[in-house]
Amino acid sequence: MSLTVEIRFTLNGSPTRAAVPPGLTALAMLRDIVGLTGTKYGCGEGECGACTILVDGLSVNSCLMFAVECDGRAITTVEGLAADPANDRLRDAFVEEGGVQCGFCTPGMIVQSKYLLSQHPHPSHEQIRRGLEGNLCRCTGYKKIIEAVAKAAEGTP
Amino acid sequence: MVERYLAPTTLDEALKALAAGDATIVAGGTDVMPQSQAGRFKLGRTLVNIRRVAGLQGGAKEGDEIRLGALTTISQLREDAFIAKTLPVLAEAADHFASVQIRNMGTLGGNIGNASPAGDTLVPLLVLDAVVELRSAKGMRRLRLDEFFTGPGKTKRTPDELITNIFVPAPKPGFVARFAKFGTRPALDISAVSVGIAGIVKDGKISNVRVAYGAVAPTPVRGRAAEAALEGKTLDAATLAAAAKAAQGEVKPISDRRATAWYRREMIHNLVKKVLADVAHG
Amino acid sequence: MTVVAKSSLIGKRIPKMDAPEKAAGKTRYVQDINLPGQLIGKILRTDRVHARIVSIDTAAAKALPGVYAVLTAADIPKRGLGVNKDNPPLKGDKVRTIRDEIAAVAAETEEIALEALKLIKVVYEDLPILADPRQSTQPGAPVIQDAKPDNIAMTFDYAHGDVAQGEKESDVVVESEFYLHYVTHCCMGVSGIIADFEPTSGNLTLYSNTQVPFLHKREFSEVLGMDPGRIRIIQPPIGGGFGSKLDIYPFEPIAVYLAKAARRPVKLVFTREEEFLASPTRQPALCRLRSGAKKDGTLTFRAVDILLDNGGYTSWGATIPFVMMQTFSSLYRVPHCLFHTKAVYSNNPYAGSFRGYGNLQATFTVEQHMDMLAEKLGLDPLAIRMKNAQESGEVTGQGMVFTSCGFKECLTTAASRSDFARKFTDYAQQQSKPGNKKRGIGLAAMIHVGGGAKIYPSDGCGTILKMDDFGHVTIMTGASEIGQGSETVLAQLVCEELGLPLDAVSVVNNDTEVTPWDVGVHASRTTFIAGNSAIGAARKAKDKILNAAAKVTNMTADQLEMRGGFVVRAADGEMVMPLPKLLRSLHFSDKAELVMTTHYYEPSSVHQDKKFMGNVSATYAWAAQICEIEVDTDTGIVTLEKVTAAHDVGRVLNRMGLEGQIEGGIVMGQGYALTEDLMVRQGKVLNPGFRDYKLVTAPEIPEMDISFIESMDGEGPQGAKGVGEAPAICMAAAIANAIHNATGVRLTRLPFSPENVYRALVTAKGGVVE
Repeated sequence: MSLTVEIRFTLNGSPTRAAVPPGLTALAMLRDIVGLTGTKYGCGEGECGACTILVDGLSVNSCLMFAVECDGRAITTVEGLAADPANDRLRDAFVEEGGVQCGFCTPGMIVQSKYLLSQHPHPSHEQIRRGLEGNLCRCTGYKKIIEAVAKAAEGTP
Repeated sequence: MVERYLAPTTLDEALKALAAGDATIVAGGTDVMPQSQAGRFKLGRTLVNIRRVAGLQGGAKEGDEIRLGALTTISQLREDAFIAKTLPVLAEAADHFASVQIRNMGTLGGNIGNASPAGDTLVPLLVLDAVVELRSAKGMRRLRLDEFFTGPGKTKRTPDELITNIFVPAPKPGFVARFAKFGTRPALDISAVSVGIAGIVKDGKISNVRVAYGAVAPTPVRGRAAEAALEGKTLDAATLAAAAKAAQGEVKPISDRRATAWYRREMIHNLVKKVLADVAHG
Repeated sequence: MTVVAKSSLIGKRIPKMDAPEKAAGKTRYVQDINLPGQLIGKILRTDRVHARIVSIDTAAAKALPGVYAVLTAADIPKRGLGVNKDNPPLKGDKVRTIRDEIAAVAAETEEIALEALKLIKVVYEDLPILADPRQSTQPGAPVIQDAKPDNIAMTFDYAHGDVAQGEKESDVVVESEFYLHYVTHCCMGVSGIIADFEPTSGNLTLYSNTQVPFLHKREFSEVLGMDPGRIRIIQPPIGGGFGSKLDIYPFEPIAVYLAKAARRPVKLVFTREEEFLASPTRQPALCRLRSGAKKDGTLTFRAVDILLDNGGYTSWGATIPFVMMQTFSSLYRVPHCLFHTKAVYSNNPYAGSFRGYGNLQATFTVEQHMDMLAEKLGLDPLAIRMKNAQESGEVTGQGMVFTSCGFKECLTTAASRSDFARKFTDYAQQQSKPGNKKRGIGLAAMIHVGGGAKIYPSDGCGTILKMDDFGHVTIMTGASEIGQGSETVLAQLVCEELGLPLDAVSVVNNDTEVTPWDVGVHASRTTFIAGNSAIGAARKAKDKILNAAAKVTNMTADQLEMRGGFVVRAADGEMVMPLPKLLRSLHFSDKAELVMTTHYYEPSSVHQDKKFMGNVSATYAWAAQICEIEVDTDTGIVTLEKVTAAHDVGRVLNRMGLEGQIEGGIVMGQGYALTEDLMVRQGKVLNPGFRDYKLVTAPEIPEMDISFIESMDGEGPQGAKGVGEAPAICMAAAIANAIHNATGVRLTRLPFSPENVYRALVTAKGGVVE
């Protein structure tokens, strides 16, 4: 039996425990052990951003993160953002501005946008474009995603 | 197969873990993870997660030097007000580094330990005359960065050593440093070539010149010929042309999927010229 | 009195119906579905490019605990997949490409499956590699497929007029060789399938990403030797298609064979590296084109000779000439056209269909030649196109019938909105001025099918429509949804007929047990074909409702209308009764009737004859795109600054969805031209990952100015045409023309990567390149 490490962390606001092999990615833990499939596998090497999650408020590629590193941290996934009405403005903006097509990149885009807006509550278009540089989308051409983030920022105090 | 996982919170604990042997050090994990997932890198029997080790973060002036903690993330390098003021070239390099998510995870020490010929912080650190501090249970030593790399992914660090800090001399009056990375994207590209230039500019002349290149050799390298072509010279068109020629002549890149050797030499020439022009025109 | 106002959703900005769930992370793609007791399937792929398989030893893999099935070619029927049936799911005699499947494993976990793959021992005898398609038909070339000893997979020949005559009439002639490289789809969701086979019933349920579920059923039944009636295909939401899922590929039957052997459900999902190595590419091409024109710009002839690298097996890539020839024969009025293509086997990866289906390649050549002819004649790029552009009423040499044609309006709109004429002259004059930043502007135009494409005997789509007691409509459509927004457009069209708000409609489009036949999502056909089908079903429902209402109200059906969820008086909108009340009165009356209708729509297009003559689509989409770029002559970096696009879309149905298609296509075309390059060298793929296969990212996108020309197609749903593929088609050609405008250098080889551009600039200046 190979080694597993018992970790405790906060997942979308709830205390969570998991036993994980030390070499496992945070992405695989979320999808295969915890069962939250909103966070997507897109490339496994941090190039596409589909697996973006927040760790203590910072956005990271969960495919590059060791699951054991979640120990003691606050993890937020797209499901956690969706459960909090405070994020409805961001989610509605993606829907209403046409930022979603096939939707596979969308969870990563939403989480990264949440981080972007936490860093820059009133971002310029340039800041939005740079803020999304690690998230690939093959459908939209990004324009409507950028517009969605800009719209979500409107009216933010 | 990993048999033991440790997440030390003190340096001593971390060094003890490394002393036991066959350990893999993880900080951001941004390189170790994909390499191990793809089977290109085998994790050791002990996985030592140093992320929680105290005291290895951030930058500060210590005497004539600036200390940069090895666990400083690339995002911190990019956004830290002290670094932006004292070592803007590092903040600039950090801005051209991978993506937001990777910058949030990846560390300065990791980028150095990784020893990629294209590592984005390495070329600016070379022109800043950086020194790497290594600690082990046995003691501490310092190595000049330009003598630290031995090959792609290879350094003089021994398996029981940890990169703990990076020291660079505090910039003197007139000090300028520039970094340019070739790529079509602001950051996400692995550079096909990169160039760093530093020196002290006084009365139109440049001295104490440092030139370094990324992705043209098995390690990031200093550009001694270009340095010689610049040392003590006025930054006029003739000097720029001579330095660019010297740079082009001294690099011996390979052809790979990112560029041919010929193109890399051409780009070194043109980038050196461009960066020098930036320096010359302030 | 209560008057219900008329309202319409047509032309509005309608959010995609499934977007809220997608944005909440709730949508479950095939990757996210897990069946109880499922095993993980993995495929062993060869590391050789061309080799005879001497032996495969699977004993150690079979003995590994947790392994339930290990299969090689010896374990499955010898049946080939694909257009030439030349691609067996597992290769037994020899491997022909680096992606070849030689064994497969089903195991409890991914870890065990991967471990088992490592235990399989394969002995090869290497064979000479055929990596250059130009060598494929040379004497002594290695034979790739024994059934085709000449290495020719497929040929297409088409002609109208007499090119020799055309050449005689020409005042100027240009001839060039163009090379078009490998790129691949890069769907964000990797390929995957779950096969659930129940041996006692013989029922097979597939959770599949296919774009062609009904054709797939037939393909599966043939390759598996199964009754198609026992095959059910469920399509979970798909993480991108773009044509990549139009053929059956080896991993799909492999998953079924594994499930059969293990008697458990098997889930098989690619890694990203596998996706790069083993999913189809866009068809690469070597194209020699000769074009002529008279002094006034009138085109005289085109002669085309194209060599397609078919790779080791034949998928849809080999059939792109079918679409390419339309551009050569019919984008402009060309009196004489001769077209020859040959797809030849090699040991390279094989191509499938990819958004645009050969038209990016064809347009790249034709639209550069238009500029080259114009330059020789001293005409401007717009003038020569306007001179030869098709118009409504035209029947082309190939038999295409243009009923609605907004081509000229596309050209003039894009030109005036981009200030093309002034900039084109200015930038050309600045070529020789000092400085390393050169700006350029380039124009390209295109034609593409906009009303389906009758490449099968039927190009139709079925719809079943039902209404419940509360006035809610469910449409069951054969049309597949791959992210393009078809469900929203279909709902809008039904709402328009039945006077309902959007939230009164649901769309079911993901289960072959429920939905009626459709040929698949390709050829930009869904809005047009499935849209007309949905309208047909809605009109039948409306007839039924209004006739029932007529009986209750002592009015005739044509005096009534449906608006806002009510039956109203057509003349003044006076409310007659709420729709739910009418529906319940029908349901709970003596006659006990539900409103349920069906409709099958077949477009008026024809299946082309053996000479490729005939009106293959019910209508055609047109576009002109203008790209403004900057070339850094010190690096060769080309920056796309602005794209001005004008598209004849027939009519705007969902403005936001349409913009999304155009913007996404423009950026995909930008990637094709500038950044994407699947590097295939000696049969090996050098860059199977996003690190070195560079998709365009958010900071790189251009400013986009998009205009819609509404030509109101007579057969289109509410006048609309299909435009899903159109926006990617012009980009490479327009950028090539812009680079020429900026630098005076004509680039005929894709991609325009910095190094390729830099080399061309140095060479043009007489410099030496290594």
